[in-house]
Amino acid sequence: MVPCALPSCSIVEGSGGYLRLSCFRFAFNPIWLQAAIALLLLGGPASAQRYDLLIKGGHVIDPGNEIDSVMDVAVSGDKIARVAEDIPSDQAKKTIDATGLYVTPGLIDLHAHVFGYSGWLWPDDTQLLTGTTTVVDCGGAGWRTFETFKETVVDRSKTRVLSFINIVGAGMVGSESDIDDMDHEKLAAKIKQYPGLIVGIKCAHYGRKDYYNLEQAVKAGNLAGVPMIVDNSILTNNDRDTETKLLKYFRPGDIHTHMFNDRHLEIVNRFTGKVQPYIYEARKKGRLFDVGHGNGSFVWPAAHKAMEQKFYPDTISTDLHNSSIFTTKADMPNVMSKMLALGMPLQEVIFRSTARPAQVINKYPEIGTIGEGKEADIVLLELEQGIFGYGDAWKKKKLAEQRLRAVLTVRAGELVFDEKGLGFPEWDTAGEYQKIP
Amino acid sequence: MLSSKKFLLILFLALTLPLAAQDTDAADTTIYDLLLKNGHVIDLQNNRNGRLDIAIIGEKIHAIGENLPASRAKKVVDLSEYYVTPGLIDIHAHFDQKGAWLNLNPDHNTLRYGVTTAVDAGSSGAKGFEKFKEETIDKARVRLLAFLNIVGAGMYGKGVENDVAQMDVDAAVAMVKKHPNDIVGIKTAHYQPTDWEAVDRAVKAAEMSNSVLMVDFHPKEGRGYEDLILKHMKPGNIHTHFYGRLTPQLDENKKVQDYMWKARERGILFDVGHGSGSFWFRIAVPAIKQGFLPDTISTDIHKNSIMLPRAHLNNVMSKFLNIGLSFEQVIERVTVNPAKAIRRADLGRLDEGGIADIAVLKIEEGEFAFLDSGHGKLTADKNIRCMMTIRKGGIIWDAEGISMPDWSTAGPYSNFR
Repeated sequence: MVPCALPSCSIVEGSGGYLRLSCFRFAFNPIWLQAAIALLLLGGPASAQRYDLLIKGGHVIDPGNEIDSVMDVAVSGDKIARVAEDIPSDQAKKTIDATGLYVTPGLIDLHAHVFGYSGWLWPDDTQLLTGTTTVVDCGGAGWRTFETFKETVVDRSKTRVLSFINIVGAGMVGSESDIDDMDHEKLAAKIKQYPGLIVGIKCAHYGRKDYYNLEQAVKAGNLAGVPMIVDNSILTNNDRDTETKLLKYFRPGDIHTHMFNDRHLEIVNRFTGKVQPYIYEARKKGRLFDVGHGNGSFVWPAAHKAMEQKFYPDTISTDLHNSSIFTTKADMPNVMSKMLALGMPLQEVIFRSTARPAQVINKYPEIGTIGEGKEADIVLLELEQGIFGYGDAWKKKKLAEQRLRAVLTVRAGELVFDEKGLGFPEWDTAGEYQKIP
Repeated sequence: MLSSKKFLLILFLALTLPLAAQDTDAADTTIYDLLLKNGHVIDLQNNRNGRLDIAIIGEKIHAIGENLPASRAKKVVDLSEYYVTPGLIDIHAHFDQKGAWLNLNPDHNTLRYGVTTAVDAGSSGAKGFEKFKEETIDKARVRLLAFLNIVGAGMYGKGVENDVAQMDVDAAVAMVKKHPNDIVGIKTAHYQPTDWEAVDRAVKAAEMSNSVLMVDFHPKEGRGYEDLILKHMKPGNIHTHFYGRLTPQLDENKKVQDYMWKARERGILFDVGHGSGSFWFRIAVPAIKQGFLPDTISTDIHKNSIMLPRAHLNNVMSKFLNIGLSFEQVIERVTVNPAKAIRRADLGRLDEGGIADIAVLKIEEGEFAFLDSGHGKLTADKNIRCMMTIRKGGIIWDAEGISMPDWSTAGPYSNFR
């Protein structure tokens, strides 16, 4: 503990043996400025601390940059500053020992509900606490409710919140079969108003005996240059089928979500156990397959059969909402753990939860990598060994010996979640600390 | 002479009669919907602390006892590795999810941690409460109760809790009386002016509505903490955030102030209300070592506190366990004590005939870290984890699928063959 003459300011010994400044109420007075001057006058190691945060000794898996080895990751401000072996910890204000942990890009969840659906959940406490730094709200908002969504959720969340905007103007609170509220021109205009924020169009829960919603979504998607993501509510209406949907209406890059659902056995022929030929054909033609786990869209037999035949999902996503967070505990690390349990290699699991979803929504490499100069969205994952139970949509479990668990999340350079306290000093040796950043 | 046939018949009857008699003696032949087998039950209000079975029918506990027959249950869950407690109670939370900006969704921030009853601490006042009830309380699966803010507008808006003009005692009293099943009392918080208006009006409103008062207190020159807990607050009132930095509970030698003990003697209750500013190891640890334990352990859970200090109820309970409270002492402070504090004698206990709200907990051993409100770390070897939560008789949370059959041996299920 180094005494400091400034009011409500002290310099405390950090966990990495460096000097760190701890100030309270910094937002209300120019104490930061004074403090910076004080630190310079002290002749401390400030000049050498070019990084704000250093994640040291972790096993970096960054599929986009083909990194799969022990590396250090340095962060300055909200950006990744450097990824290299052996970055000295005296160059950073805060050092996190990530030995034994995996360091990956912040996870990207293409399918969750953070607005406009009765089971919506705030993004930060559901996503950042599970290592997910980017979430795409899947159809909660339509073009008529998007501004409210932006104001109340997108702009107020630390999580990067994007949108698959609903084909229906009223979003999910309206009837998703309401063909009078599917104005493709107004929808395309809204998408163009927010490029990069609205990344695609959602069609779901459609109850009519036609494909009108898909036709409108394709029109809007072509005008705005975005893909659509479509659920599987097909067999409730016997004039429609998945094969036609995928091969006739889908374009390359359009996404079929809830791929391991049990309702229609789209993926696997129920008698032969083989992946359906038209599913292979659809993939060959660039149609994409997304997990969208949720409450009712993941059953072990379907997933087992498909994965045995190496029919992997393109993207791993949760369909997290106020039911699935209980019944199937469908957060990203949990769904990723299920993929591991089905034999998908860890590197593939990470790829399909980071770089791949970023590509699918045309945001790669802006997000989904630990690239120098990119926004610093990073997660530390622990691969626990033991016996773990994973429930499916019908309350049957699979026991597996591994579990992926998020233990620390950095979002835009800010340490927002730290289950193991890796970034903080022991309370009884830290002195009269105020809030330690 | 006994023929061998007769002998066999008598032998048969001799052997089987006791069995038949046993069967008819057991008057209770009801079918249980769910049987929780062999858990270590800690139900302090009923002096239960040992291995017991709990049978559930519908929303209610049907029987608690040793060796309840598994043959009578539609579903049996073996809990021999776990503790079984009444559903936990968190008396300081913020769940008015469409209102104040810091509020969270109620269900997953409670039920996943064994909390079956949460009390929103003053997010809404008389003006906003009914909207809160309609939009959140009535839709939540957790039992959500509320302290009504003495300020009409509740916590919505900067500085609104300093607005004495909004502290309408009559309006607050009327609202408490209108919703006796939802509102347990009055809350005052964040008041900055140097007078006693907020506290005194809240005390008055609680007295007039015969309900509980919870106080969050920011001492000012001439408006000191000692006067609050010895003069202004009434017995049964709750001071929350009492391990915080704002109130002087310890002297310069870290000794618990005499007035703390005096206040406790006169019936003032002390609640943790962890939050992102109100739990500091350097205050809590010395106070606990001197025997000044909290009456109730609660979270003050909101959008900030759930992130870095990670203050959900199991996290806060684990901190106290690692500081030195026994597991029973921790459980008492999240079941029996909070039920008494909010005057809900039906909660925090397991009763035959009572609503089946139950938590299944495990004390994990390993290396764990817990952050306080300043992000100072306690490295510790125990962690309380909620494995299963039963709310109104239904398994709503099952962390590891302990109630589920294995998929590969479950036979055909759903419409998949």
